Amino acid sequence: MIELRGRSERFGERSDWLRRRLASLLASLAAASILLFLVVRLLPGDPANALLSAESTPEQIAAARRLVGSDVPLQQQFLHWLGQLGTLDFGESFISGLDVRAEIASRLAITVPLTLGGFVLALFVAVPVGYLAAARARSWLGVLIGNLSQFGIAIPVFWVGIVLTFVFALRLGWLPAGGFPLDGWSERGEAMRSLLLPVLTIAIVMSASLTRYVRSATLDVIGSDFIRTARAQGASYGRAMWQHGLRNAAAPVISVLGIELATTFIGAVVVEQVFALPGLGSLLVRAIAQHDYQVIQGVLFVSTLVVLCSGFVADLIQRLVDPRLAATRAGHAR
Amino acid sequence: MRRRIPHSLTAGTILVAVIVLLAVASWFWLPFPIDDMSGGRLEAPSWHHLFGTDKLGRDLFARSMIGARIALEAGFFASLIGGLVGVTLGLLAGFAQRWWDSIAASLLDSLIAFPTLLVAMLLVAAWSASLTTAIVAIGFAIATVIARVTRLLIKRVLNQDFILASRASGSSWPRIIVLHVLPNIWPTLLVALALQFGLASLSEASLSYLGLGTPPPNASWGSLLQEAQATVTTAPVGAIAPGLLLVALVVGTNLVADGLREYLDPTLRRQS
Amino acid sequence: MKPTKSIVRATIALLTGALAFGISAPAFAASTTDATINIGSLYEPQNLDNTGGGGQGVTEALNGNVYESLFKLNDSGKLTNLLAKSYKISADGLTYTITLRSGVKFHSGKALTSDDVKFSLSKVTAADSLSARKSAFTVVSSVATPDANTVVIKLSNRSISLIYNLSYVWILNSAATDFKTKADGTGPYTFGNWVHGSTIKLDRFAGYWGPKAKNKSVVFHYFTDATALNNALLTGAVDVITSVQSPDALASFKGTKFKITNGKSTTKLLLVFNDRVAPFNNVLVRKAVSSAIDDAKLLKSIWGNYGQVIGSMVPPTDPWYINLNKVNPYNVTLAKKLLAKAGLAKGFTFTLDTPNYDPHPAAAAFIKSELAKVGITVNINVITADEWYTRVFKKTDYVATLQEHVNDRDVVWYGNPDFYWGYNNQDVTAWVNQAEQATSAAKQTTLLKKVNRKIAEDAASDWIYLYPQIVVASSKVSGYPLNGLNSQFFAYNIVKK
Repeated sequence: MIELRGRSERFGERSDWLRRRLASLLASLAAASILLFLVVRLLPGDPANALLSAESTPEQIAAARRLVGSDVPLQQQFLHWLGQLGTLDFGESFISGLDVRAEIASRLAITVPLTLGGFVLALFVAVPVGYLAAARARSWLGVLIGNLSQFGIAIPVFWVGIVLTFVFALRLGWLPAGGFPLDGWSERGEAMRSLLLPVLTIAIVMSASLTRYVRSATLDVIGSDFIRTARAQGASYGRAMWQHGLRNAAAPVISVLGIELATTFIGAVVVEQVFALPGLGSLLVRAIAQHDYQVIQGVLFVSTLVVLCSGFVADLIQRLVDPRLAATRAGHAR
Repeated sequence: MRRRIPHSLTAGTILVAVIVLLAVASWFWLPFPIDDMSGGRLEAPSWHHLFGTDKLGRDLFARSMIGARIALEAGFFASLIGGLVGVTLGLLAGFAQRWWDSIAASLLDSLIAFPTLLVAMLLVAAWSASLTTAIVAIGFAIATVIARVTRLLIKRVLNQDFILASRASGSSWPRIIVLHVLPNIWPTLLVALALQFGLASLSEASLSYLGLGTPPPNASWGSLLQEAQATVTTAPVGAIAPGLLLVALVVGTNLVADGLREYLDPTLRRQS
Repeated sequence: MKPTKSIVRATIALLTGALAFGISAPAFAASTTDATINIGSLYEPQNLDNTGGGGQGVTEALNGNVYESLFKLNDSGKLTNLLAKSYKISADGLTYTITLRSGVKFHSGKALTSDDVKFSLSKVTAADSLSARKSAFTVVSSVATPDANTVVIKLSNRSISLIYNLSYVWILNSAATDFKTKADGTGPYTFGNWVHGSTIKLDRFAGYWGPKAKNKSVVFHYFTDATALNNALLTGAVDVITSVQSPDALASFKGTKFKITNGKSTTKLLLVFNDRVAPFNNVLVRKAVSSAIDDAKLLKSIWGNYGQVIGSMVPPTDPWYINLNKVNPYNVTLAKKLLAKAGLAKGFTFTLDTPNYDPHPAAAAFIKSELAKVGITVNINVITADEWYTRVFKKTDYVATLQEHVNDRDVVWYGNPDFYWGYNNQDVTAWVNQAEQATSAAKQTTLLKKVNRKIAEDAASDWIYLYPQIVVASSKVSGYPLNGLNSQFFAYNIVKK
């Protein structure tokens, strides 16, 4: 039931959708904030332990509790935190005394290039390779790619990191085995060299799974009616694929990309550990072990924000690209 | 009309069966008891110890068999939890309309923002690390993925004409769900779950590697890999064997998922 | 073709300049006092305040480098004067008069006075102080500052360890307010930059009162993964690793490029019994368990040929060390006999609370296997450091646990019946108190030796082994501390070729 709509009508619908989608984005964020706060505060275990040693006396234990403890009721704490969120002020860590926002910012300077770099590289590989695997599904190339990608998904990420470090850093000495330069991004060349192997690690693992998604989405499309109709109308195979296939295949892939990005953002912590990178994931791991509330809340909030926004962008792109979704607005299935 | 069973399904099933065999056998027979430390330190593979021994003298083959058990348990139970919870949530979200729909969509989105690792870390902070916390964390992650897939599938099905026709002829919603919706979506869901099975095992290994999963002295493949890392140059088998078994399991389940997809999807045609 | 000519000229000039620079480069390298030393460690500080929960890492990075104390414990365990020029003890041992060195300045420029000393001590003894050394100063009744260069400490009782304990009190600038993220000390380095999760940089302080540091700056690189740390040394990203955690990695450091040193350690691995509860309130049971475990075999499994077995809490570097390995020797028959005598011939079951970080899980698995041979069933319960602190250490809600204890001179904890292991022996408690009030080091040593022997005979805990202290460094560096006593790592003598 594809109804033809005029441009202005479609635009009106789109901005309508946009407004609604933005509203739901903000609602998600609010819901996530409440969830975050509760989850973090309900964690059992004493945050004061991080400050103590094996020789601590009972008075010291009490003092530590007072230092990190909350004599203020929970609702008040929550409101205080909401207020802080408004100015994006995440407070200070009571364990390290750090300004949480500044710390998150400096960690993002590593995690964002790491994740995006791996992501983009994986896309560059996965899209053509996946397409190829689907288009040549019966030839040796398609089978080979299919099997390689099978293998690629099965390998744990830390394995890849360890192997890459062994080959390129220890044996060949071309790249550093880990760490990030002292002055951060002001030593641009060194910073990029430090991120090369980690980005490659993430890209290898991600491209394996992305290849499979692209391949299966393309396979779906190849056998579909769109292509046959287009060809029946006289278009060449290539043209048909380009005009109809890609748009239809892209939709499920784009929605998957959002999920993959989310998983990688904090999942990169394993890569950070292997390559000793001070990224967001390792900050979170440490904060959770120490019950450093302020840091945990701050990091979770930022990462939720990133994930929700990328989901929003993915949705937007998907709507623009997938003709089926764009058309169903008219259908209004009960 | 009997369809031919795809190669991938056969190959995958064989691979998974090998691992299952190892796991099941571990209930009845182990070459050495798991606590036995009579072997030398980091022995090379031999007929006595097929995979060699670890730092404490334990037989690595026996430990790998237990690892198979743990990997399968993780995969099975996490997929079960994820599947049940996910399909339920997805059904609810799929049938939601107007702004309930938007809320459901954004809720599912924000749940995805909590990746497996994070949930596992929070659970471990609350209760100690164990296979159970790992399964719950991984099950949660699977549920979010399955919920999303289910919701999308249902949205697609609901847009079809025959749904409108059913409604017009007076069928109730439960009847429609059972007669029309479920039959249409279960093949895709089954394939998705088969895929998640292998990924769940992989996640459990990663969590154990980080110390957030099955705690020592239990021999999850991930823990074995972590222990062997320091000695990878002097005793490589300890680092390679569990990894290969893990790869075999995941590849196997992926092949099964692929094969199921080919077998079940009636619209899929080979390009002529 | 003028442009090409000028380009060629420019290129030649550049190349010559580069060559000249290249030739003179060795001249720069020869000046070793301008090197930057890169140190690799697993122990990042939590903050910069050692009375506010800075952790082990803050001692390693800052002690002796940025902050100084009145006295210094050097790498061989000898106490020397540092910021104290001299001191006098009254005849009754209750008054210590310390004269400060003159001309000492903090990095911020302020001069050191006795007020700073008084302030620093009060920070350790304050009600909200989280310092590990706080209880050592309960014996201090007053601190007076008669003039800018003199500090008078009055005690309520003799305390022979006072000078030793004072070596842990960092002298802080009394005018400073932020001790968690800033460090204004008197040491040979100023605190440079801290990139959390990554590095801490210290820069040589030109205005230092003593001999200047032999390197221009020091960078501590922090890792959470031991393999990543080893890789950093292999690729030259760091020059020295302060403490290697597993011997298997040492194989990759053989050869002339690296130097492995085995120093004196004070870290002990303990199987801790809760001496208050059954079955470990029975000395026979404790001795039985101690004799049932082959400590040497566990040491070999984890450390290969490094480390040593110990029979008590006291490491060989303490003056009151005795070789007590034979008191509870590895003897399965003896263990079974003792169990029978305790009425537990059929064995028993207990839960072993095991921290989840190395080497405790491996040790727990080994202990379980050994005790199974005498009929004792061990349930291994792996817990986080956090849970260990809350439940085991604070609430003492446990039967047995594993833990490593890092400091030297800590046998005195057995004189405190409220300490988490609950060992309560009146004689030992009395001896510990008397030792602290002893009038001479010799008397102190005699008393603590008695304590040492008694706790071994009572098997108050099972001391499994003493960790080795392995430092691996590139052959290009020298002058680094080999013993790393109490986690200190003095960097000012390190030179790089």
